[in-house]
Amino acid sequence: MENAAVRCEGLGKQYGSTWALSDCTLEIPAGSITALVGPNGAGKTTLLHLVIGLMRPTKGSVAVLGQSPSAKAAELLPRLGFVAQDHPLYRNLTVTETLELGRRLNPGWDAAYARERVARLGLDGRRKVGKLSGGQQAQVALTLALAKRPQLLVLDEPVASLDPLARREFLNAVLEAVAEGDVTVILSSHIVSELERVCDHMVALIQSHTRLAGPIDEILASHRVLIGPRTGATGVARVHDVIRESHTERQTTLLVRANGHVYDTCWQQHEVDLEEVVLAYMGYAPGGAMPLPEPEAVA
Amino acid sequence: MIAFHLDNRSGVPAYMQLVHQVRQAIRLGTLRPGDQLPTVKEVVATLTINPNTVLHAYRQLDMEGLAEGRRGVGTFVAAMPDTPPPDGLDRLRSSLARWVASARDRGLDDEAMTGLFTEAVRASAGSREVA
Amino acid sequence: MTWLAWRLQRTETLVAAGILALTAALLVPTGISMSEAFHHDGLGSCLAPNPGLSCVQKIGAFQSHYQALNFVTNWFTLVPGVLGVLLAAPFILDLEHRTYRLVWTQSITRRRWVAVKLALAGFAAVGASAVLIALITWWRTPLTDIGGRLDTGTYDTTGTVAIGYALFALGLAAAIGAVWRRSAVSLTLAFVGYFAVRIVDDYWLRNQLASPLHATWRGGRLPDYLEKANILSQSITVNGRVVDRGSGTGGVLGAHAQLAAPGSDRNAVFHAVYQPASYFWTLQIRETLLFTAVGAACLVFAAVWTQRRVA
Repeated sequence: MENAAVRCEGLGKQYGSTWALSDCTLEIPAGSITALVGPNGAGKTTLLHLVIGLMRPTKGSVAVLGQSPSAKAAELLPRLGFVAQDHPLYRNLTVTETLELGRRLNPGWDAAYARERVARLGLDGRRKVGKLSGGQQAQVALTLALAKRPQLLVLDEPVASLDPLARREFLNAVLEAVAEGDVTVILSSHIVSELERVCDHMVALIQSHTRLAGPIDEILASHRVLIGPRTGATGVARVHDVIRESHTERQTTLLVRANGHVYDTCWQQHEVDLEEVVLAYMGYAPGGAMPLPEPEAVA
Repeated sequence: MIAFHLDNRSGVPAYMQLVHQVRQAIRLGTLRPGDQLPTVKEVVATLTINPNTVLHAYRQLDMEGLAEGRRGVGTFVAAMPDTPPPDGLDRLRSSLARWVASARDRGLDDEAMTGLFTEAVRASAGSREVA
Repeated sequence: MTWLAWRLQRTETLVAAGILALTAALLVPTGISMSEAFHHDGLGSCLAPNPGLSCVQKIGAFQSHYQALNFVTNWFTLVPGVLGVLLAAPFILDLEHRTYRLVWTQSITRRRWVAVKLALAGFAAVGASAVLIALITWWRTPLTDIGGRLDTGTYDTTGTVAIGYALFALGLAAAIGAVWRRSAVSLTLAFVGYFAVRIVDDYWLRNQLASPLHATWRGGRLPDYLEKANILSQSITVNGRVVDRGSGTGGVLGAHAQLAAPGSDRNAVFHAVYQPASYFWTLQIRETLLFTAVGAACLVFAAVWTQRRVA
C-alpha cells in the first residue's frame, strides 16, 4: 500500500534536560507488522506514546493515519488499538466488567467478537482481572484493543513478562487479527530473535535515535558478515557501510550493509540473522576490537 | 491435509520452506490435486508467522502452477510438479556417486564435501538470479 | 462512562457509606434517648427568658449527663475531611498505577475522563456530607436549643459548612495526588493539610468572616443574648480601667465571679466582643462558599495538571 500508517519527521521528546527521543524520521507502511527494537531506555515507549497520542512531541511531528494523534485524539483513538507496557488493567474489575469498559468507552466496539475471544481463551467472566495469570491478563488487554477493530495496533513490549507458551498464544492472536483484516501492527520488543518470523518491517532505536529502518527481508539481504585475512576496512568502506569491525591476529571480521554485490573474493560472505544486525548497530563487538593495522592495499 | 514445520536454523527463508514442503508432499502423494492447502489463518496459528509469508508462499506455488487460489474458498493443489524422467535421475545419481568417490580420494571429509556442494548450489542460484 | 467512573469508585463509596452507617449507629439510639429525656424533663419550657432555679438545675444536669457524648461528637468535625480525602483515592490510584494508559487510549479524551471522575467524586462528597449534616443536626437539636449553634463542635457539623469542608479536602487531595501520584503519601498529606487549615479556620478565620458586635453590662450573669453567642474576647473595666481581659467564654467572667455577684462593686463593667447567634447562617454561607471555592480551584488545578503534564 502506498499510504504510510505512521509518519514521523524529526520527532523528538524532551524530559527536563534529557532527550528521550531525538530526530526520529521514519515511515511505517500500512498493512505491515513492524518491530520496534532497541535496548531499554532507547526511547521505544516514548515513540509509541507519541504515536498513540499519550504524549505531545517537543520537536518535529508525527502523523498517524494522516492525522496528528495529540491534536485529533477524539477522531483517531477509535481507530487505534493500544496495549501499554505491562498491559495495564483495572485489577478490581471482573473480565466481563473490563469488556464493558471497552464497550462503553468505544463507539465502534465489536461486543460479539470480544465475548467470543474471551470464551475461546477459556476465561470465566466473573473472575477479577487481578486474579488472572500474566498471560491471561495480556490476552484480556489485547482483546480490549482488538475489539475496537482498529486500523493500527500498537503494542509496547507485549510479551516481555510472559512465559514462552503465553508469548506464543499472544502473538498468534495478533497474527490472526492481521490475517483477518487490514491492520497495521507496531510491536516493540527488546528480544529481537522471535520477531523475525512475525514481523516484516523493523525500526531500530538506539540511544534515542533511529539507526535502522526498513523491510526485514531487505535488511537481511543487504547485511552480511565478511571474513577475511587481517586488513583494514577502508577498502570495503569505500563502497559499503561498515557497521562493525573486529580483528584477531590473522583475521578481520566485518559486518557490512552492502550497497550492491561484494566483489572482492578475499572475503568469505555469511548471512546474518536479525539479532546480530541489531547488536552490531548497538555497537557490540564480539571479542573486542583490536587496533587497526596500517591499511594494506586491497585488490 | 498437510502440516507445516519451520526450521529456524536452516537459513532458508520461511516462505521457501513452505513451498518446498508443499512440493515434497505432492511428490510423495501426501497431497493430491484437488486437496486444500491449510488456510492462511491455520498456518499462522500453527507456526506463529507473518500472514504475508504464507501468502508469499502460496503465490509462489501459484506461479509454479502447483496450486491455485480460489477467492473466498481457499488454496488448492493443482497439478503434479514436473518430475524429471526417471533415467535422468539415475544418471545424476551415478555422476554424484563418482564425484563423492573422487572427493574422498583427495581426503575430503563429509563436512568439506557438503561445504563445497552448498557453495556450488548457492553460486548457481546467485548467477541464476542475476541472469 | 459514568458507569465506569462509579464502578471504579465503588469501594471508596462503600467505605464512606460505612462511615456514615457507623455514625448513625452511634447517633440514632443516643439521639432518641436524649430527645426523650429533653421532653420528659420539660426542658423545652425552661428555655424561655428568666427561667427559674429548678430549670437552671435541670438544664445543668442534662448538659453534664450528655457531656461525654457531646465531646465525642465534637470530633465528627473531622469526618467531612476523611470523606473528602477518601473519595479522591480512585483519581490518584489511576495515576499511581498508571491505568490511565488504558483508559486515555480508548476513544474518549483524557479531559472528559478526568472531568467525569472528579465531578463524580465531588457529588459523592457533597451527598455524604449532606447525610452527615442531617444526622448530626437532628441529634444535636436538644443541645442546640439549650446552648445555641455557634460553638465550634456544633457549628462545624450542622448548617452547610461540612459540605465545603468535604469539597476542600477532596480538592486538596486531588491536587496533591495529581502532582505526587502516590496515593498513600498524598492522602496523608492532604488530611494533615486539611486538619491544619481547619484549626486556623475554627479559631481565627471564622471570627473574621463577619464584623463582631460589642456588648457591655454591669454585674449579674451573662446577658441572655450572649448565652448562645460566639464570644471572641472579654474584658472587665472598673472606673474605666481595664482590670482583666480574656478570650472566649469561660475565662474572665468565671475568674471574677465575685465582681458579678449582686451587691459587689457596681462600677465593674463587663465588655464582650461577640458574634450573635443570629450570625449563624451568614457565617455558614460565607464559610461554605469560601471552602467550596478553594476546593473547586484545587479540583480544577488537579484536572489541568493531569491533562497537561501526565504522559
